Amino acid sequence: MPKVIGEAKKSFMTGNETAAWACLAAGADMMFGYPITPQNEIMHYWTRLAPRYGRGFLQTEDELSAGFTVCGAVQSGKKAFTATAGPGNVLMQEPFGMAEAMRLPLLAIIQQRGGPSSGTVVYSQQEVTLTTFGGNGEGMRIVYSTATHQEIYDYIIKGFNTAWQYRFPVFILGDGYQAKMREPLEIYDPEDRGIEMLKPYPLIGLEGEIGQSREPQHLCNIYSLEEELYEVVMKMAAEYESLQDSLVEYDEKNCDDADIIILSHGVVSRAAEDAMKILRTQGIKAGYFRPITLRPYPQQQLRNAIAKSGAKIILCAESAYGQLDRLTKQEIYGETIKMENLFMPGVGIIDYDIVDKVKSVI
Amino acid sequence: MSLVRIALAGEGGQGVQAIAEIMAEAAYENNQQALYIPNFGLEQRGGVSIAFIQFSDSRIGAPKFQKADIVVALSERAVARTKDYSGPETLFVYDSSFNIAPEDFPKVARKIIGIPAIDTSNEVLHPRVFNIIIMGAVIGMSHVVSFEDAKKALEHKLGYKFVQDPKLRELNYRALEMGKEMAEKALQEGVAQSV
Repeated sequence: MPKVIGEAKKSFMTGNETAAWACLAAGADMMFGYPITPQNEIMHYWTRLAPRYGRGFLQTEDELSAGFTVCGAVQSGKKAFTATAGPGNVLMQEPFGMAEAMRLPLLAIIQQRGGPSSGTVVYSQQEVTLTTFGGNGEGMRIVYSTATHQEIYDYIIKGFNTAWQYRFPVFILGDGYQAKMREPLEIYDPEDRGIEMLKPYPLIGLEGEIGQSREPQHLCNIYSLEEELYEVVMKMAAEYESLQDSLVEYDEKNCDDADIIILSHGVVSRAAEDAMKILRTQGIKAGYFRPITLRPYPQQQLRNAIAKSGAKIILCAESAYGQLDRLTKQEIYGETIKMENLFMPGVGIIDYDIVDKVKSVI
Repeated sequence: MSLVRIALAGEGGQGVQAIAEIMAEAAYENNQQALYIPNFGLEQRGGVSIAFIQFSDSRIGAPKFQKADIVVALSERAVARTKDYSGPETLFVYDSSFNIAPEDFPKVARKIIGIPAIDTSNEVLHPRVFNIIIMGAVIGMSHVVSFEDAKKALEHKLGYKFVQDPKLRELNYRALEMGKEMAEKALQEGVAQSV
């Protein structure tokens, strides 16, 4: 495949445009999508760029169909993706569940908007529960929560490889602010950074004879017997859990001596880091911990941070009413650290929101 | 340069988002950190359009802010819509031709400044460069980008139009210059009214 970017170059663009370029640079063959704010421009940019590079696009009749067509395309050996938000993310949980069941390497970019229901078209972090544990399955997914345009670019490239290497569906969890804002980043061809992009491979229509030259492919999302399903889910769970150490990613700063750890993810972590720095200049020993993967969650790393710091309080700051907080509590069950919160569902959080809250709880 | 936060608000079609983008790109081209985000709620269909821009030497945190260093309201209802972005350090700028009820002005501001941008664009220049006058005024007050970099960014953005009609270049540069002078004059001469 010819290089898309050429020499690495600095750019100043929106997060949606960044996502389209990243998919292109990652060698994605095909996007299926259905319009919904605030992710529309991923489709717009992709449809503008894709024909120039021999890539494809199909706008389907709704999100169910967009999700299922991605499921079909990856089975045929195409590197395919979709993007959605809010109620569209709700609808896509059914095809995402199929991707979990059949271990399909799809990639979905989620630009969170306000909820419940149509909520706002603007911004939130209220799709954490849905994206990590949506559907009628067990949350066998890999979810990267990005904070900057550089990360949108980097984690989309990484995400395609994660999907095709491990065959769990991969989610890039952004938000409306990241989607619509412009900020600088560097775009590059993965090969120039020593990143080998995995080639997609067909999961069906394989050569050779079953039982003779190859094993049968079981791509199944329904079973006759409870025990059959049980066996499949247990095997999947064991494999997912065995991969946790190689999949988890997190960012931690100043936790060694922290009295209070500020916990956040995604775009809010930018304000959290600034708040931590402000508090440090005021003599308050604040630390900063950010899960980058929300599934699997860096629970051991957070436990370690609590242990080594001796912190007495975690302050969980999020643009939702407790979705990260709930996820964290289940992941670090048994820890006795006090958990305070700054829940601001559907609105942005700035550094001083967090600074003021920290001062009110320590 | 430490962090500078600017909110520009106006009616759809006034070119608020266009000048926000041009200034942010000018700063970016000059290797500064810049972050620009439009408001994009449903209200974009017939409501007040707001651009949030931040400039800094170092990485910029949250994409939106609650109090701006400069607020520019380009229509009468944009004044009321943006008054809450004004804090004790804010320069709040509006057009001196507006009829604004006293209660619609921000309660807190460093200075509230009226500038004659609409009259100048209508009578001296051309209505289409109203937003460029405003851009000049913002640069005159904030120095977030140099005058030369702003010209370069204008050229980059509108160069294809300038080729078709070279007079447009002159018109835009004059608008930029007059906006800058307007702001400097307003800051120096006490045209500003304190609250």
